[in-house]
Amino acid sequence: MKIVIDGKVCEAERGEYLLTVARREGIHIPTLCHNDALPGLASCRLCIVEVVEKGWHKVVTSCVYPVSAEIEVFTASEKILRMRKTLIMLLAARAPENETIGKLMQEYGLEKPDRFKKENSSDCILCGLCASACEKIGAGAISTVHRGVTKKIATPFDDPAADCIGCAACASICPTGAIKVQDKSGTRQIWNKTFELLICPDCGKPVVTREQAEYLRKQMQGNPIEYSGDGTVRCERCKKASAADRFRTAFS
Amino acid sequence: MSNPNQADIRMREAHLSEGTLRRDCRTVLVCCGPGCLANDSPAIAKALRSKIDEAGLDVKVHPLIKETGCQGLCEKGPMIRIVPDDIAYYKVSLNDVEAIVEKTLRSGEVIPKLLHISAKTGKPVLTLRENEFYTPQVKIALRHVGEIDPHQIDDYIDHGGYGALEKTVKEMTPDVVIEEVHRSGLRGRGGAGFPTGRKWKQCASYENSPKYVVCNGDEGDPGAFMDRSIMEGDPHSVIEGMIIGAYAVGANEGFIYIRDEYALAVETIRKAIEQARERGYLGRNILGSSFSFDLSIVRGGGAFVCGESTALMASIEGKVGEPRAKYIRSVEKGLWGQPTVLNNVETWANIPVILTQGGDQFRQIGTEKSTGTKVFSLVGKVKNTGLVEVPMGIRLRELIFDIGGGILGGRKFKAVQTGGPSGGCIPEELLDLPVDFDSLTEAGSMMGSGGMIVMDDRTCMVDVARYYVQFLADESCGKCVPCREGIRRMAEILEDICEGRGQESDLDLLLNIGETMAEAALCGLGKSAPNPVSTTIRYFREEYLAHIQERRCPAGVCRELTTFEIDGALCNGCGLCRRDCPTDAITGSTKQRHVIDQEKCIRCGNCVDSCKRNAVKVR
Amino acid sequence: MTLSSGMQHRSPDRVAVTGRILEGYPKEQRYTLAMLQDIQKEFQFIPRESMELIADYLELPLSKIYSLATFYKALSLRPKGKHVIKICDGTACHIRSSQMLANELYTLLKIRPGETTEDGQFSIEMVNCLGACAIAPVIVIDETFYGKVTPAKLQEIIAQYGDAFGQSDRSGGVAHE
Repeated sequence: MKIVIDGKVCEAERGEYLLTVARREGIHIPTLCHNDALPGLASCRLCIVEVVEKGWHKVVTSCVYPVSAEIEVFTASEKILRMRKTLIMLLAARAPENETIGKLMQEYGLEKPDRFKKENSSDCILCGLCASACEKIGAGAISTVHRGVTKKIATPFDDPAADCIGCAACASICPTGAIKVQDKSGTRQIWNKTFELLICPDCGKPVVTREQAEYLRKQMQGNPIEYSGDGTVRCERCKKASAADRFRTAFS
Repeated sequence: MSNPNQADIRMREAHLSEGTLRRDCRTVLVCCGPGCLANDSPAIAKALRSKIDEAGLDVKVHPLIKETGCQGLCEKGPMIRIVPDDIAYYKVSLNDVEAIVEKTLRSGEVIPKLLHISAKTGKPVLTLRENEFYTPQVKIALRHVGEIDPHQIDDYIDHGGYGALEKTVKEMTPDVVIEEVHRSGLRGRGGAGFPTGRKWKQCASYENSPKYVVCNGDEGDPGAFMDRSIMEGDPHSVIEGMIIGAYAVGANEGFIYIRDEYALAVETIRKAIEQARERGYLGRNILGSSFSFDLSIVRGGGAFVCGESTALMASIEGKVGEPRAKYIRSVEKGLWGQPTVLNNVETWANIPVILTQGGDQFRQIGTEKSTGTKVFSLVGKVKNTGLVEVPMGIRLRELIFDIGGGILGGRKFKAVQTGGPSGGCIPEELLDLPVDFDSLTEAGSMMGSGGMIVMDDRTCMVDVARYYVQFLADESCGKCVPCREGIRRMAEILEDICEGRGQESDLDLLLNIGETMAEAALCGLGKSAPNPVSTTIRYFREEYLAHIQERRCPAGVCRELTTFEIDGALCNGCGLCRRDCPTDAITGSTKQRHVIDQEKCIRCGNCVDSCKRNAVKVR
Repeated sequence: MTLSSGMQHRSPDRVAVTGRILEGYPKEQRYTLAMLQDIQKEFQFIPRESMELIADYLELPLSKIYSLATFYKALSLRPKGKHVIKICDGTACHIRSSQMLANELYTLLKIRPGETTEDGQFSIEMVNCLGACAIAPVIVIDETFYGKVTPAKLQEIIAQYGDAFGQSDRSGGVAHE
């Protein structure tokens, strides 16, 4: 079916999310909590757009709004911009020093809000991507804890996470860089827990944590990663290099 | 009352309840609703029972005591009624039991001091119907509450219960049932007012199975106890409604989600389900038909957000009660991704009546777009607090001043809050507003589930807004940014205003955050959360400005901004304020002007409330 | 499932009681909340080992159970006192001065809402509307409702609860006036 986004006629499939259509068409809608690999969380609400259907205007979150009719969409109407600015201001009040939020403020021409208390500020905007990723991986080491204004992301009892495999997927997916992961001298620290990092036997660089390697070996039976159990694991780059070597040897 | 049919219905109701009373023996109905329970009504019931047994040895009086659900007028509890004589006694204490048995039951003598005194005529009234609190009421959802023993399915059946189900299953196809509900114009009583018939029709149109029906009994609005009273006082009407709904949409399994705090409601419903199962109203092949359906109870975990349908379903599934976007509706993908109909307690309780009397009959009551009645819990600074059921479209004024008897202590009405934390505060100039879904929404408030809290001039509207926002700060699920962060900042600003740190620009900021929440929040809780703030700014802006510009709380509630003074011209030195002051801050000899020591005063306002001459002023 | 660090401190009693509660439920996620509620009723709070046992039983990560247990207000992670005093802070109670009751309780018991007395006798909770608005302000101690409570009445009510004021205060005679 055809929909119109900001004046541009776009082809969309029934049930396809509005954000997906817009991005395919190169129309920029800001998001923080969206990741193509995970189900839509719809928590940051930055991707709000105005939809006009049969003359009715409504505000929807494009990341989870399925296209089901021939609609007209405005991604940056006056109303949307006003509300998006308020959302960014609220995020900035929560995470005043955050770089990602700082960039958004710049993009929307906003000043740092000075009306609010600075206490309890945090880089984490509680989008939930980290917990969602951790669950998808199968570890489920972290989750949301409490509710309302005291909600946070944490491990059970704030203990070193028993179920954490140190893969750091949470940190890499975090849009605001709020999860601290520290790799140094062969160890990784994350969620109050220290992991041993396995070294690539070829290049000597740290690759994954031991727990992650064990976990992957269990998950990918029949397609084992090159994990010797002696504390080394070949990294992707060296693996490719050695495959290329074998290829060369075989066909030269 | 504008509609002649309403009088009709009332008469029919009265007739119905009289006709089914057991005329051979008297019945004493002892209210065991929440208000009366707290005033020891079970002890009174027990004492009555034993006194009657004693008396019964030599007198031929064998009244039957039923412990009924809430009778409504909780303010005057504990309350008992003697039928068929139709005598209503209020504020009954254990000391009165003997007199009731000896005088009234044995000799037919009325005890004047236990009667209700009409606020209008100043005269005592004998029956419930003559009491101005009950006269304008039309009971549909509450038709049996206070009339029947909720623990006895036979009592329900004697009152015509399960007749609608029998008619449905034996004589009607699901389509016809849906059509009847559709024709009644019934709209969901949980707050948003979605047409029930349309919801059922949509759900029935999906082919996938299983389907579910759910009853939302997670009544969480502060100041509301309608659903609790129905579940405790007439559980079978809810169950019967759900069975009919399940038959209509093609569901075989249902859930009643009840707040865990409502221990008595959980127990009453549990018993009722068992009894319904024993009688074949639940289970396989209901009433010999091919239709099977069963119900189970899910106890809520204590989360206001679970009143939100998608959060409630997540909770039934054993997950954190976070709502999801509703672009795909629950009637298509609800519980475990299956078609689901969710209605609240009061909505379900209306269903049997609609099928017995017919949709056309039902829509005679109320207004064109809001048909039927609505149950309200009328509370706050009003004389007659309690549970009332009135036709939709009744004026707020009628509800508060006729039924409610006006404002406590003869003070001045200021606002009425409807719809709980999702609703708003309606000012005096809108007292003639008809109470229906659309009028309340237009005024910036909403019907909500039916809490109605009356506020007088001793209520600070900024404090009220702060109260609701703080309530929601704790109750928001915290998933989406506008709700979580918006509420947090609103709370911060309102606290500043109440404590004298308000800024001129705060009102615009509050409205701006409010707009974003209303449009961009994920669920109904977040979308409606700004209502208490925006309506108080809309109707009581001067009060906000007094806090911000003059650093003064005109109602004398916000402590930091309040100074109490005794007006020497009005004070007659009665000493009541001195007696009630918790910090001994008031001094003065009898019949002399009293003075407040501002150093000692903690601004509790007791003196304002105790002064009969209105001599304590807020500076 | 990974063993949690709390494992070694498990109380055998709690493990046994929790085990019995879990046996009553099928191994389905939908019963998680009901299990937690039963455990709450049993222990007046949710012990850590109970959460670990539920996680094992349902084959869910502990974080899921923990998330649930911290989300719902009916569940508490900290042990509560022998008597739980609930101050209703519903709107009707609020505008009829429920806050004064909290202040009075602080004077009497030296604890604020959310806290438990040192002797483990009392906990105070500020709770949402209990649906008894007509007799506001309301407090509930254990399962008993008290309506139209005033600070003076509150003293009398608290005094009814046996060794209410604990060993240290008993000689001081805070009770009846």
